[in-house]
Amino acid sequence: MSKKYAVLPCNGLDKCAGQMAKEIALLACEKTGSELICPVFYRVADARYDKIAKENPLLVVDGCQTRCASKLAAEKGLKIYRKMTVTEQAQKHGLQLAVEPLRLWKEELALCAELADKLVKEEETPQDSATAVEYPMPHDYIIHTKDKFSFRIPPEGFYFTENDCWVQSLGNRARIGVTDYVQQSLSDIMFFTPPVVGTEIEQFGEAGTIESGKAVFELVCPVSGKVTAVNTELLTAPERINENPYERGWIAELELTQFDEEQDFLLNVEEYLNILKKKVAEFHVNKR
Amino acid sequence: MMEEEKLKIGVVSCSGEDCAGGTISRLATRKMMDELRPDNTVTICLPLFLAGGQEERMFAKECPTIAVDGCDKACAKRATEKYSGKVSSGILVSDLIGSAAAEKPALSTRDITTEHQVMVDQVAAEITRQFDEIMAKNCQEQSKSSSTCSCRGNCDC
Repeated sequence: MSKKYAVLPCNGLDKCAGQMAKEIALLACEKTGSELICPVFYRVADARYDKIAKENPLLVVDGCQTRCASKLAAEKGLKIYRKMTVTEQAQKHGLQLAVEPLRLWKEELALCAELADKLVKEEETPQDSATAVEYPMPHDYIIHTKDKFSFRIPPEGFYFTENDCWVQSLGNRARIGVTDYVQQSLSDIMFFTPPVVGTEIEQFGEAGTIESGKAVFELVCPVSGKVTAVNTELLTAPERINENPYERGWIAELELTQFDEEQDFLLNVEEYLNILKKKVAEFHVNKR
Repeated sequence: MMEEEKLKIGVVSCSGEDCAGGTISRLATRKMMDELRPDNTVTICLPLFLAGGQEERMFAKECPTIAVDGCDKACAKRATEKYSGKVSSGILVSDLIGSAAAEKPALSTRDITTEHQVMVDQVAAEITRQFDEIMAKNCQEQSKSSSTCSCRGNCDC
């Protein structure tokens, strides 16, 4: 018997991607006997779907980057088990989605079937080879405060990028993550897509994404290296990033390949603090 | 000289995951946009509308709208009236095709039968009828205040 889920599609009507989201959700439900959640009715009346959504692992299918279904899940305080965005998947599969008419043809329907399979496929948790050595945790933090907002930066042992990611090295290994500024800007983080263990990432390449109701943040890897472990705790508890992005909210571990050369392109604490102050001033203006 | 805008009518369809009537609503709405009144029909994406899509909400405030609901929960009508104002007209698919057919589980477009297609045509015909009424009424009002009509030949004025 396959695992049962709650499936929440975006169901958009005015784009082909929304039609596909609906098809993928229906197929996923047919395959697994899962429960389908109507995003419109769920907004209008909570009672019918609240229990289903909270008692089953939640699969979210967004049609486009507007992410209506993800936003709905965030508003309802639901934890997303797995998700996909049709436009991204279509791009990966080299399928140009029609703007109009919205009818799904053979190619689109074939992709829907493939994506529904992918959505409900249970893969083994990536095999980590996290270092046995404990990374030193910051004892205290430099705190930059602006009115009601406070942003933490570890005073030593970390390097940063302008894109608000950090690296903490230990011999030929390093941990990476996002800074306090990112977690505060995103607010409640609800979904984490880790980098794949075993892949080689170049400096400033993508190393996974984190997502809140507000936005998706693409983690820019501060260093080159091979991913040896990901923080699997974040798969079920992405809120660890909100609690402390430098400690239990780390993202991945890498085996470093050219850290000595790459340090020149990274920011030390003082340099990052200066950049942070400028960003906070803008953040503050936008928040008022 | 500025080109006069054609009157657009928003057709707000139920999103249809809760019952087959929703799928029929979607398909009928799409038929309006693709075939029956392509130049004057605008669909409103209901999930986006509910998620706070300002363009959709403004359009529904400023232009006539027809809500097409799969069942008597009337999500499309309720949502439009909550965020944008009174709908010009409303269609309940279950009234047209019968509650038993409308309340069956959600349908995939892969499973549409000839019988379903007949239902889609029936609902689309009713949307068209109401659509043309709104258009004609608008034309009468326009012709009272100006010599030109925005329908560009879509009515009898």
